Amino acid sequence: MGPHRGALVAALVCALGCASAGPSLTLDEGGRFRAGGPGSLSVFVAGSETPLFGELRGESDGLVFVPRFPLRPGVEYRAVYTPPAGAPVTASFRLPAPGSSPSTVVSRVFPSRDLLPENLLKFYLHFSAPMARGEAYRRTHLLDAEGKKVELPFLELGEELWDRSGTRLTLLFDPGRIKRGLKPREDSGPALEEGKSYTLLVESAWPDAEGRTLLREFRKAFRVAAPDDRQPDPSAWVIRPPRAGTTGPLLVELDEPLDEAMLHRAIAVLDGEGRPLAGRVEVDPDQVRWRFHPERTWKPGRHALSIDTTLEDLAGNSIGRPFEVDVVRPLERTITTRTVSLPFAVLQP
Amino acid sequence: MIRTTIAFAVALAAFASPALAQDGMKKGDPDLKSVGPLAFAPGGVLLVGDPAGAAVFAIATEDVSGDPEKVKLDVPAIDEKIAAALGTSPSDMLIHDLAVNPASGNAYLSISRGRGPAATPVLVRVDGAGKISEVPLKNVSFCKASLPNPPAAGGDGKNSARSEAITDLAWVEGRVIVAGLSNEEFASNLRAIPYPFRDADTGAAVEIFHGAHGKFETRSPVRTFTVYTVGKQTQVLAAYTCTPLVRFSLDELKPGAKVRGTTVAELGNRNRPLDMIVYQQGGKDFLLLTNSSRGVMKISTDGIDSNKGITERISDKAGQTYETIASLEGVTELDRLNKGNAVILARAKGGPLNLQTIPLP
Repeated sequence: MGPHRGALVAALVCALGCASAGPSLTLDEGGRFRAGGPGSLSVFVAGSETPLFGELRGESDGLVFVPRFPLRPGVEYRAVYTPPAGAPVTASFRLPAPGSSPSTVVSRVFPSRDLLPENLLKFYLHFSAPMARGEAYRRTHLLDAEGKKVELPFLELGEELWDRSGTRLTLLFDPGRIKRGLKPREDSGPALEEGKSYTLLVESAWPDAEGRTLLREFRKAFRVAAPDDRQPDPSAWVIRPPRAGTTGPLLVELDEPLDEAMLHRAIAVLDGEGRPLAGRVEVDPDQVRWRFHPERTWKPGRHALSIDTTLEDLAGNSIGRPFEVDVVRPLERTITTRTVSLPFAVLQP
Repeated sequence: MIRTTIAFAVALAAFASPALAQDGMKKGDPDLKSVGPLAFAPGGVLLVGDPAGAAVFAIATEDVSGDPEKVKLDVPAIDEKIAAALGTSPSDMLIHDLAVNPASGNAYLSISRGRGPAATPVLVRVDGAGKISEVPLKNVSFCKASLPNPPAAGGDGKNSARSEAITDLAWVEGRVIVAGLSNEEFASNLRAIPYPFRDADTGAAVEIFHGAHGKFETRSPVRTFTVYTVGKQTQVLAAYTCTPLVRFSLDELKPGAKVRGTTVAELGNRNRPLDMIVYQQGGKDFLLLTNSSRGVMKISTDGIDSNKGITERISDKAGQTYETIASLEGVTELDRLNKGNAVILARAKGGPLNLQTIPLP
């Protein structure tokens, strides 16, 4: 019962000589092909000799071919009906193609800052509508200050890293172009170099899930600062608790910008009994301030932040572990627990 | 020589007990949300990685007749033919992986019909006659292992966009090894799930570290891997995007373990490994590795079990030696068909994708 019901039969195009009174060959509203008599019935994508997967049924008024998968708008199908006697009858059908006018855009890119560490690990590209997979590395480019493409800056995975909605792509820098010890960096140099300017370019030719191109290309210009080899340190965070009896936000000032996506799930607010509070997280545009808006009013007393130690900064250093371990130098800090706790008190107004 | 037993031992270890594979299965409809990497367990059991559903399925194909030694798979323009059978165009479809069923010699492909998040997952079988058919997923024997998607420690817990890609999987000695990568935190994530699957035991994640030049260590994601047996020890060989070939022992894949792998080969720069198999030829064992920039590499395993690892800074290549098979271009997928042949998916420049049988080089 799709939107194309009325168009199905109207789109019937007769091939060779079907104007004569022969057995009918139609496509019904349910997307099934029908021949008005016994014999055989096959359906093909136009130009192919491979028949469609589907089921052929005999009914009282003839044959019915039920395609295994719903017909695709815009694709031309050729049905061939061969009656027990007489010449085969061929007819072509096409569901109207969906509108092709683009409307999808890159809506946000994280990190949103324009000064980023030399060892930046990833970008998150957010789109306003679900995208088609399979073209991420062809459609995204890193340009240097002269507008020249940096060669292979990103980790090209067979399975692109989309979220389930198909609206967010994780674009990882090739670790070999970031890490000091790994070889591609020695040969090709790092993808990003301190003090230089770059542009992340997303081509408008990238199709969305409906096959339409993006409305426009996207550019994010940024400058590159020194590499960040320091782990995030929650003990240096400043917690600004709200007053009891209010629903004001809990504000946490972070010690450095952290991963925008993980900030939405890696920090829990616990009450005095250690139960997580329900609420909404807000991350400021620079990813250095984190706010928690509770669903209910704050109760006075002890609370705590429970922070997942996998929470990373922009260079992939997590609370538990730096991104890259220099095995010659002793580690400043490794944390083996899954979470760390930061207590705070909510006071009476 | 221990090494000469490698490939033969792989064959024995992997397919010695066909009866085992269907243990713990139930009849029903596997609820695949997506399809990704494929592999075979004994007895024609197809292992399917479902990244969107965060699960691995084991499906009894009942495709256990036929002699792989007599099969030759050659289907030109297979992408066009599969797309036509699915009633769509090649540009509106993705082919994720290829695996050959060692119980029959038939090839299986994992396909998305459509390219957006609402794409329909399809499994397709191609036989020696070139016939393309859909792998039935109604009322079949199957079991499923759910991969834990680490729950949010907190935050608002809503609209979590975290998901995990499955980069490769394999059946070995009663375990299914799954390599994955999160779309948020960065860590190599390898899981050894006991088979038959039990709900409670999905195998704890193991982090694999490997050194580079003796100075730094990393936990980059595993791109593709294969297993081989030296004596009684099964080794996993993992290919990474950088520092390509790393060896570690299967026995080390214990829940919560931190495993340090040994870098046994640097295969050159700007080289993304795609797929890898082990085979035997002339009493010696070789690895065949497809990659993005160098055609197919035939890598010697001479001394691989005693290779102490590359710890020095190197200019280009080091460790296990290899030759590039120049005639094999545009190969994206690879699996072993029988003693002397492999099956590949290869795209000639600008042309369609072909399914081909090639003699093992």
